Amino acid sequence: MKNPSVLGTILLAGLFAGLLAPALAAQDSGVTLIENATILTVTKGTIENGSILIRNGKIAQVGKNIKAPEGATVIDAKGMYVTAGIIDCHSHIAVEGNVNEGSVAVSSMVGVGDVINPDDIDIYRDLAGGVTTANVLHGSANPIGGLNQVIKLRWGKDAEELKFEGAPPGIKFALGENPKRNNFNPPPGIPRRYPESRMGVMDVIRQAFVDAREYKKSWDEYNKRVAAGDKAAIPPRRDLKLEPLVEVLEGKRYVHSHCYRADEILQLMRLAEEFGFRIRTLQHVLEGYRVADEIAAHGAGGSTFSDWWAYKMEAYEAIPYNAAMMTRRGVIVSVNSDSAEEARHLNQEAAKTMKYGGMTEDEALRMVTINPAIQLGIDKRVGSIEPGKDADLVIYNHHPLSVYAVAQKVFIDGHIYFDREKDLAMREAQAAERKALLEKAKKAAEAEKKAGEKPGADRKPDSEKKPDGAAPPQGKDEKPKEPPKPPQQVAVAGFLD
Amino acid sequence: MNNTHESPRKVCCPAVLKGLAGLTLVLSLLVPARALAQAMSKSQQPEKTYAIRGAKITTLAGPVIEKGNIVMRGGRIVAIGADAAIPADAEVLDAAGLEAYPGFFDAVDQIGLQEVGAVAATVDSHELGQFNPQLNALTAVHPASEHIPVTRAAGITEVVSAPSPGGFGGGGGGVILGQATVINLAGWTVEEMMVRRSVAMVVNWPDFNTRSFDFSTFSVKERSFTEAKKEYDKKVQELTDFFEEARHYQQAVEKGSAQNYIRDLKLEAMIPVLKGELPLLVLADRAREIRGAVEFCDKQKVRMIVGSGADSMKVADLLKAKNIPVILGPTLRLSNDEDDPYDKFFTLPGDLQKKGIRFALASFDVEFVRRLSQQAGNAVAYGLSHEDGLKAISLYPAQILGLDKDLGTLETGKIANIILTNGDPLELRTEVKNLYINGRPTSTDNKHKQLFEKYSKRP
Amino acid sequence: MKQSKNGRSLPVVLAWVLLLALGFGGLGSLQRSASADEPRYFALQNIKVVPVSGPPIEGATLVIAKGRIAALGTGVAIPPEAWVIDGKGLTVYPGLFDALSDIGLGVAAPAESAGGRGAGRGAGGPAVTPEMISRGPQDRPASTPWLEAADELKADDKKIETWRSGGFTTALSTPTRGLFPGQGSVIDLAGERPGDLVVKPAASVEVTLNGPGGFFGFPGSLMGAIAYIEQVYLDAEQDTAAQRIYAAAPRANERPDYDRVLRALEAAQAAGEPVLIPANTSPQILRGLVLAEKIKARPVLYGVQQGYAVATALAGKQAVALVNAKWPEREKDADPEAEEPLRTLRARDRAPGTPAALAKAGVRFAFYDGGLSGPKDMLKNVKKAIDAGLPPEAALRALSLTPAEIYGVADRLGSIDVGKIANLVVTDGDLFGEKTKIKLVFVDGRKFEIKEAEKPKEPPKGDLTGKWSLAFSTDQGQMQATADLAMSPGGSVSGTVTHPFGTSPLLSGYLSANSFTFTISADPGGRPQEFTFSGTVEGNSIKGHINGPGFATEFTGTRPGAALAAGE
Repeated sequence: MKNPSVLGTILLAGLFAGLLAPALAAQDSGVTLIENATILTVTKGTIENGSILIRNGKIAQVGKNIKAPEGATVIDAKGMYVTAGIIDCHSHIAVEGNVNEGSVAVSSMVGVGDVINPDDIDIYRDLAGGVTTANVLHGSANPIGGLNQVIKLRWGKDAEELKFEGAPPGIKFALGENPKRNNFNPPPGIPRRYPESRMGVMDVIRQAFVDAREYKKSWDEYNKRVAAGDKAAIPPRRDLKLEPLVEVLEGKRYVHSHCYRADEILQLMRLAEEFGFRIRTLQHVLEGYRVADEIAAHGAGGSTFSDWWAYKMEAYEAIPYNAAMMTRRGVIVSVNSDSAEEARHLNQEAAKTMKYGGMTEDEALRMVTINPAIQLGIDKRVGSIEPGKDADLVIYNHHPLSVYAVAQKVFIDGHIYFDREKDLAMREAQAAERKALLEKAKKAAEAEKKAGEKPGADRKPDSEKKPDGAAPPQGKDEKPKEPPKPPQQVAVAGFLD
Repeated sequence: MNNTHESPRKVCCPAVLKGLAGLTLVLSLLVPARALAQAMSKSQQPEKTYAIRGAKITTLAGPVIEKGNIVMRGGRIVAIGADAAIPADAEVLDAAGLEAYPGFFDAVDQIGLQEVGAVAATVDSHELGQFNPQLNALTAVHPASEHIPVTRAAGITEVVSAPSPGGFGGGGGGVILGQATVINLAGWTVEEMMVRRSVAMVVNWPDFNTRSFDFSTFSVKERSFTEAKKEYDKKVQELTDFFEEARHYQQAVEKGSAQNYIRDLKLEAMIPVLKGELPLLVLADRAREIRGAVEFCDKQKVRMIVGSGADSMKVADLLKAKNIPVILGPTLRLSNDEDDPYDKFFTLPGDLQKKGIRFALASFDVEFVRRLSQQAGNAVAYGLSHEDGLKAISLYPAQILGLDKDLGTLETGKIANIILTNGDPLELRTEVKNLYINGRPTSTDNKHKQLFEKYSKRP
Repeated sequence: MKQSKNGRSLPVVLAWVLLLALGFGGLGSLQRSASADEPRYFALQNIKVVPVSGPPIEGATLVIAKGRIAALGTGVAIPPEAWVIDGKGLTVYPGLFDALSDIGLGVAAPAESAGGRGAGRGAGGPAVTPEMISRGPQDRPASTPWLEAADELKADDKKIETWRSGGFTTALSTPTRGLFPGQGSVIDLAGERPGDLVVKPAASVEVTLNGPGGFFGFPGSLMGAIAYIEQVYLDAEQDTAAQRIYAAAPRANERPDYDRVLRALEAAQAAGEPVLIPANTSPQILRGLVLAEKIKARPVLYGVQQGYAVATALAGKQAVALVNAKWPEREKDADPEAEEPLRTLRARDRAPGTPAALAKAGVRFAFYDGGLSGPKDMLKNVKKAIDAGLPPEAALRALSLTPAEIYGVADRLGSIDVGKIANLVVTDGDLFGEKTKIKLVFVDGRKFEIKEAEKPKEPPKGDLTGKWSLAFSTDQGQMQATADLAMSPGGSVSGTVTHPFGTSPLLSGYLSANSFTFTISADPGGRPQEFTFSGTVEGNSIKGHINGPGFATEFTGTRPGAALAAGE
């Protein structure tokens, strides 16, 4: 330590470490302690003045009087509430292009996992509302739709890094008005797509599973021939449409089915039973309250809206008591969003089940945490505050079931992905950056113009004479990302999704 | 109480009111709509008196009364206060443990005009054609709509039912959509429900958009700025021309002889607007469109209210200078601009309040009208005071629409629209236990409760 | 004979058609005549050679013989039959290579308004009809991988000369419509007949991700397009196996189907043709890498303008990038009040930094035009990449040897090496220098001298801005047109001319003192031809000549609107 320059370097390094501590420590040491909070564990009751120790992205310890290990980042959450990150069991955020492959009645060959757009601002908006996990589903234009993708809202990461590693794969089904497309008309000259009735919807699904069984059989036969040493066997064609359906038949892929009316709910469950599989979740399931016993007996979960109704005929008998009523009859129920906006206040939507049907606080909270986790088969990882689980947490300034609760910090895997203070602080910097970029572009354009304007100078490049646009990103043209939003537009999501 | 049988339309006219002195007289004239309706629908029974006893009363017109009584008769509050005497003949609600608030007022929606959004046969909220000032929402309000009991059970006692621009699956193209009406959410007929037949002329301000969503092909259409501007300018010009035409007509009616003009319902309906008696409720979201509308109304010398007003903070100085109020669309909505703060619509009511711009919150919806208190609650969560949160869905809409002598607070002489809750009415878990609309106890029962009860009993 | 759009009389239409028919004949005679007349031996003496494959050589001699580079060096003997060109002060580079284009396919130039290649590619075409509605992958929607650009070439495509004049001697030209539009061909940018151009007819397979069916036909979504491409490649794999097994044991199996789409792709795969995958934003780029893996192809992505953000990932997968040199710009007629997302502004600012980032990360890349209207813009945009940190040598390589490697023609093209095709560009300075002029271009050893475009010599006197009514006579009678012009203070003129066959933008134009000239390309049915209007302006009237291929007449014009405005 006699060398002064070495000493200086070390001192400097120390200084930097000190300056950057809040930002880096959580990342570096991987240890964070949240203390003095009211902890709503969801599954293990409420802890007043409690602490949560996060280590390497997991919840290491929950309880009172946990001492901060050396090097840990300590967050004083006095007066705050901490609960498990919200899980949205029905989302369409982060999808590039059309969320529906609506051209065909069975679109199981497509998957939203192929088109996750990590730059979708809705990821951040929902994250800011406390959502940490979302079940991103294909739309509801088809009796059998595309494959879903469960994601964590790790804003800033790339598409593959958003994917919830190990989440069981699933597929979207849809019943009723959307797949029969009564509320849509193709342009003149384009034929309507089969089916246009609930009979047809069931027919399409049944036929698809018959096809899937045949497909499976053809592969079984081929494999048998090969095993027997038959070198002349031609392999069947691999069919991306039928492969996921075979997985459904084998119980390896969850079915998340959009549905409204009690009759169609029952029909789908019976059809599934006929083919020997179970519907994992009934999505929307607005008339689930009428067949709650049957749903419970089948073993499906119900993922419903808080209080949506009357936006279309099949929603006319929807009631906000639905979630509570299904719960009372033994169905695992979640409250979902189906909308990037609604997702931002799922905690509020869950709270409504206390008013409509008398759920307790814990029951209400379960609807947006552990219950959707169970439905998605990820409850070992997320959905409650328990040691060993992923540190996906939300710090609120009020009880999360209060309308006044505002998420202050949102953790995923122990990292802070949303911080309200930072968000507020960032706004000016963003405005400044915008201004600087516009200024720079303006100057460059002026310089270019000047060069082209000198008499006798080089001819103006053609590009300046012809109207040509900046290249829009590929594929963006497919999704009506920004439909004009008339105030009445809120319910449109229910038609598309 | 009086028994004047003047037509409601005439009574509604502020010009008539202006000429009258004395509060009692004014009040007596404001009642007839209801009185008339009652006279027609009921036998000549004497007015019954109702009273609420021992509630915690938030009047929004003064300090909270920790424990007080409210007495109502003839649809109006006749006494309110800690010591308000309850007449012996009153039908009394013992409200110990309950909290009384003014019923909530949804300043723009389509209650009664639409039953099931996707079923065109049940939708009466928009018409064909560009200019339809002669239409009045009241002529299509369906008093038996299931939305009415569902909505009032959430504490909303009166609404502005307004023609809408159409939107998903229909309509579109309309500019002057028709007249909005104020109704109580109780009554056997619209005549019983009506508070004011015509409260604003709804104008769907032309869009200035280079991008539009085409519902027929489910795709976004792009066009150049020049093209968009041309179309926008053309539409504004057409609107200007229509106003000019109406002015000529007004002159003919007022100064000419009846033989010399043919009665034109469209132009006739514009006269109260041109006279400044009926405000324009201009639906506009973006700054440029709001500015355009302000400029237009300035030139036309007509009163203006901004409806929806997503970007009203961007034109706050202008709105402030012109004293133009804003009826804001839902706080629960998303910005089209990804760089907008994530909490833009949550903070918007508070931002306007701080800026000194008059505002109210409205649902602009049908089935989500019952989220009105949640919308206000979210504004409170992000900076609006709790009292302003309550007023944003009661007193403020009443003031903006010139109905604050009748609605918006709990005060003697006002229409007795009262809710009794078991807690903070902006909170999600709070229930509306009792309702008084137009001075009468009104059921909180509705289709949803009924289905709940019916299916809860399924063996 | 079809009626023209604005309902003009048939004789007028006929007149134009006749005029243009004459034009074809005239043009034909202007083309390079029989090659026997041309010298086949050249020697560039005392010239600076930038071979790309090696270090630059000063004061060298480069000998071209029968289309190929015969000798190169400082002490090289000049064959007696050679046409000797003094290269003092000149530099010779390999001819430039546009790595993805529609040059030679006769695609109308202004069609690129949607943002050019890499953006709207694959989209467009006729409106959707019921017959086009596909009900699944089995219908093989918008798939024509058997098409080869080489078979669709038009030797008289104006773009060939335009790009050649700017130093481009070679291009990968590919069909443009559909999910599998067809195979790209490496072409040289000179030749009398289409076949003369072709270096390698089947050099690439391209996929796009724009479904043809909108919401109503398969695929109607991005994920549908991706699934479709994956399915097609799975089918091709199965088809290959099926054919092999069936050929060996025809009696043991059902006869496999014949599918033209699959056979074309299988052949391309067997030949090692790269599969070009569109990917412009960083999420798209990462997605493109995943798709390449799924279809078991070496990742060759095109677009890649946000490559700056994911260069490491590209390097990790040893991906090849075709970079769209049409850097994103703000829409010309954009809403001045619209606040563009910060994300867009950032991408626009950083896109030219992509090549530098790729070079640094060791990603192989080449440039393509992305719908840029000409080589000058292309070089200007490459210069922007250099300004953003790309070493000039790397830029040059990305315009020559790298694309040749990507398409498997580096053994014959892409650098100045003895034996290779003599595709060369000769300049009077650094290729990317602002004032550098291209003097000569050699394509297949044939020399093209580059004429400088005319320029205004004096500041403008008068103003051409406004709407002009033009009248002119032909032997078929009087005709009319309108010109909507805008002049900049410097004298350059832009705008449109509306004539009986539609509206054409000005390709070029200027006013020098009171003399003007402007050129349009009109397409009366068949193909576009250039017409030049030149003359003088006096106040609100103009007069002069119209010249086109085999066509000349006088015209007069007035500016009625301006007169009216002045009168007010």
